Amino acid sequence: MRLKNKSSAKTAEERKKRLLSLLEQQGISIYDNLDKGRFPQFVIPSRSVSNIVYDKKIRQYILGSASAVRSSRNMSQLRSYTQLAWLAFFVNRLVREGKSSTLRDIYYSSQAFSIDFEDQPESDNIIVDLEAVLTSPREEFHIFPEERSSVFGDLTIEYTVPGYEGKRMNLSDHPDGYLIGPSLSSAELVDTSAELVIAIEKGGLFTRFVEEKVHKKFKAIIVDTAGQAPRSTRNLLRRLNTEMGLPVVILADGDVYGEHIAMVIKSGSANAAHLRELTVPDAKWLGVWATDIEKYKLPTIPMTESDIKRIYDLQKDPRYQEGNWKTQLEVFLKIKRKAELEAFSKYGLTNITDKYLPAKLEESKSF
Amino acid sequence: MSKEVFSQISPSEFFYRNRDLAGFSNPTRSLYTSVREFVENALDACDQKKILPDIHLSIKAVDAEKPDPKHYVLTVKDNGPGIDPEHIPLAFGTVLYGSKFGLKQARGMFGLGATMAILYGQITTNKPVTVKSCSDGKTLDEFVMLLDIQKNKPVILKHTTKEGSKTGLAVSIVLEGDYSKAGSKVRDYVYQTSLITPYASITFEDPSGEKFHYPRIVKDMPHPPTVIKPHPHGIDVETIRRMITDTHYQIPTIDNKMIDKVKKELGLKKNLSHKEILEKAQKRWSDISKPVRTVISVMSFLNIDFEGLKKIRIDDIDIANKTITYWDFGESQTHAIELDPESPYYKQLASTVQGDTLLTFLTKRFQRVGPTTAEKFCDFAKFKPDKRIGSMTNEELVKLADALQKFEEFLAPDPSCLAPLGEEPLSKGIMKFFNPEFAAVWQRNASAYSGFPFVVEMGIAYGGDIPPSGLKVYRFANRIPLLYDEGSDVVLKIVNETEWSRYKIKGDPPLVIVSHICSTRIPYKTVGKENVADRPELERELKNALQYLARKLAVHMSRKGADDMAKKRANLYSKYVPLIAQFATELAGKKKEPNYNQLIRMGSEIEEQV
Repeated sequence: MRLKNKSSAKTAEERKKRLLSLLEQQGISIYDNLDKGRFPQFVIPSRSVSNIVYDKKIRQYILGSASAVRSSRNMSQLRSYTQLAWLAFFVNRLVREGKSSTLRDIYYSSQAFSIDFEDQPESDNIIVDLEAVLTSPREEFHIFPEERSSVFGDLTIEYTVPGYEGKRMNLSDHPDGYLIGPSLSSAELVDTSAELVIAIEKGGLFTRFVEEKVHKKFKAIIVDTAGQAPRSTRNLLRRLNTEMGLPVVILADGDVYGEHIAMVIKSGSANAAHLRELTVPDAKWLGVWATDIEKYKLPTIPMTESDIKRIYDLQKDPRYQEGNWKTQLEVFLKIKRKAELEAFSKYGLTNITDKYLPAKLEESKSF
Repeated sequence: MSKEVFSQISPSEFFYRNRDLAGFSNPTRSLYTSVREFVENALDACDQKKILPDIHLSIKAVDAEKPDPKHYVLTVKDNGPGIDPEHIPLAFGTVLYGSKFGLKQARGMFGLGATMAILYGQITTNKPVTVKSCSDGKTLDEFVMLLDIQKNKPVILKHTTKEGSKTGLAVSIVLEGDYSKAGSKVRDYVYQTSLITPYASITFEDPSGEKFHYPRIVKDMPHPPTVIKPHPHGIDVETIRRMITDTHYQIPTIDNKMIDKVKKELGLKKNLSHKEILEKAQKRWSDISKPVRTVISVMSFLNIDFEGLKKIRIDDIDIANKTITYWDFGESQTHAIELDPESPYYKQLASTVQGDTLLTFLTKRFQRVGPTTAEKFCDFAKFKPDKRIGSMTNEELVKLADALQKFEEFLAPDPSCLAPLGEEPLSKGIMKFFNPEFAAVWQRNASAYSGFPFVVEMGIAYGGDIPPSGLKVYRFANRIPLLYDEGSDVVLKIVNETEWSRYKIKGDPPLVIVSHICSTRIPYKTVGKENVADRPELERELKNALQYLARKLAVHMSRKGADDMAKKRANLYSKYVPLIAQFATELAGKKKEPNYNQLIRMGSEIEEQV
C-alpha cells in the first residue's frame, strides 16, 4: 500500500488556504487604494507569444518576466478591471462556500452584478487573467470546463466538498470509472496499491482496459483523457505522480495529435504557460509511435493536409528538437500515414492489452 | 476632280446640327438643360437690375396619360426687368443675339442656351414659344413665335398687348422630355440653385402638381458683376480682331438710338433723302461727333437713307482691301461694297478704321496696362508703339496675340468684375438648408489663371440635420449648380485627396461641402459645362480653402470629442467604482465600504491618456 508523500506536495486544504489568502491580499490592496483616492490596478503577467518561453529546468512552458498593468485609471481598461475584480470576488465566494461553477456559469453569473461580459470568450479571458494574477489554475477557483474525463483503479480518496467532508471512497468500485470533476479534484488522495498510472486517449479503450483487468494485471490506475487531457485531469495525473509517487505512461493514437497529447501531459501547453503544477515531467509516451505502425503492421489511414501542417508546426517547438519526439515526427512525415489505437483490433480485441502494452512497458524501461 | 459645293449655313442651322454639344442630346437631358437655361437667364436678368428674384418654374405634361418621353409645357416666370418689346423677336427668335458678349461673370454665356431650348422644343413638337414681357410696369406684350431655322430669324404668329402691373418675363415652350428620368436632376437643380442664391425665392411645380418652394433667406443681394476690359493673357487672335473691329466701329450697332443721335446732330426734323442728308452733313462736319461722321460715311458709300440703314448691319470695314461688308436683314445675305479712295469720306473711314496706335490700344482696351508696361511690351513684341492697329496684317495679329500671352510683366487680372456670393449669405444659406451643428465658410482672395480672374468661396457643414451617409459635395460655378460628370471634377478631386482622418473625420460622416467658383471664364472640361478642369491655380485655391475649413472643423471635432469623452468618463467612473468598492470590501473581509467618492471625481477629470 502506497501512502501519500506529504512532504513533497501541498494538500487540497493547503492549496485552498493559499488561494483564499491571495484573494484577501488583493481585496485589501484594492480597498486601501480606493480609500486613499488612488487608482487600484492588477499586475498581470503577459501571455503574449513573445513572453512564453520553454524552461528546460522544470521542463514546461512558462511566462517570462514581462507583465501588463490593468489600471482603473485608464478609461479603456476600467471595464475589464472591474470584471477582474468581480471575478476575484466571485471566486472568493465559490471557494469559501465550496460551490463549483463552469465557464458558462460564470458568464451568466456576472449578469447578476451588472458586470456585463459581451460574450463567453470575454469572460473566459478574464478567468485566464485571474489565473495569471494568482498563478492558480481555474480548477482551484472551482471553475470547470464542460469536458470531463474519468479515472479507475485502486485509489482511496477523501472528499473535502461540503456535505462529504471526511468521507472516503475507492475508485475501483464502479466499472465505468469516476468522473474527474470538482469533488474529485478537491479530494485528498489517501492511499493506493497501484504502481503505475496509464493515461489513455480514448473512452472505448479505457472500458476495454477495465474489462481486461489491466488495473490488476499491471497494478495500474487507468485514466481516460478523452482526447487532449483537461486541466483537472492533468492536475490529477501530476498529483498521482508527485503525491503518490506513481510513474505515468501515456497511450494515444498513432498520429501527430496523439504524440502531442502525450507531450502536453508531460510538459504542458503554451496556453497554460502562466500556470504550474499541471505537468508530469517524468511521464512517458508509450505509443502509438510512428515506428510502431510498421513494427506491429497496423492498418493505417492516410494523413490529411492539416495533419501534415501540424507536424511542421510542432517541428518548430523547442521540445521536439531532439530524441524520440523528433524522430517520431520525422517518421510520421515520411510515411504520411497514421493508425488509431483501435487498429490493434485487427489482431483480436485483446491484442493491445495482451501483446502491445506489455511489450511497450518493457521497452519503456530503457527510455 | 469632283466639284465641291460650298454653302453657307445660318447660326441657327449650325446649332440645330450640333445640338448635342449644347446639352440637348436626348429627351431627359434636354428637359433638364432647358430648365437650367431659362432659370439662369431669369436670375441673371434680376441680378443685373438688382431686383430680388422671384422665380416660378413649372413643368406640365401635355397629356399626362402618355408614357415618357412625351410633350411637356415648360414655363419660367420671373420678376426681372422684362425685355423691351422691340427686342423680343430678335432675342428669342434668333441665335447669337444677346447682351452677354462683354467680359463679366454671368451664369449663362452669350444667351445661346435659351434659344437652343426654344429651337429644341420647336423641332420636337412643332409648337411655338410664348413670351410674355412687361418692361415698363404698364404694358404686357405677348409674342407667340416660331424660329425660321434656315434664315435665323423669328416668325411672329401672334403679338398682343394688354395692361400690365409689374415688370417681369415669362417664357413658355413645349418640348419633348422625359420627366420620369430627368425629375430627380431637376429637383436637385432647383434645390441647389436656391442654396447658392439665398436672396431668391424659387418655386417649382412638378408634373404631378407637387410644389417645391424655397423662400428667400437673405434680403441683401451681392453686388452685380460689372463689365471690364479683358486681361492681355486671356485673349486670342480672334478676340483681338474683334476688339480692333469695335475700336474703329464707332457705330457698333445702328439702332434707333443711333439714328436719333445722327438726326439730332444734323438738326433734322423730318426724314430727308440720302443726298439731302449728305449735304446737311457737309455743312456741319466740324461740329458733329466722330460716331456720327462714321455713320454718314457709311451711308455715303452704301448710298442709303435712314430707312435703308435700319435694314442692315455693318460687319467689316476692310481698309486694306478697300471693301465694306454688311448683312442685309431683308435679304438675309451678306453684301460687299468697294470703297472709292477718292471719296472725301474715305479718309474719315480710314482714319477711324486704322484706329489707335498700338500703345493707345493696349492702355485703353486692356485692364491694368499703363503706358510703361505698354512700351515694355512693344519692345518685347518688337512692334513700333505708334503702329496703327487697324493696319495690322493677319501675320502681325497672330504675332501680337502670341506676344500678349507670353509677356510676363502684366499685372494680375482685376477681379472687380466677379460677384461671389459672399461669406454671410453663403453661411446663412448653409445654416438654413442643413441646420448643422457646425458650419464655416471662407472666401479666398481673387486669383487668376491665363488672364481670367476667379474667386473661390467654400463652406463646410457638419452634423445636425445632415444624415450620416458620408461626405456630400455641392459644386457651383458662377452661381449655378453642377450636377453631372462629378467624377472628373477638380473639386471632387481635391476633396477625395484630402486625408479626412487628419481632421478627426471618420467613416460616413454627416458632412457637406459647398464649393463655389466665380470667374469670367470657368475652365469647363466639356461643352456640357458640368465639370471643371484642374487648372493648377484653381486647384491651389480650392485646396487652400478646403484645408482652412477642414482645420476649423477639426478644432470643432476635438472640442466636441473632449466634451463627449469627459461625459463618458464621468458615466463610466460613477458606474464602475462603486462596484469595485463592493467587491473589494467583501474580498478584504471588511464590513464598511471604502470612501471612493474622491476617486470617481478624479476619474472624471483625468485628461485623455493616449
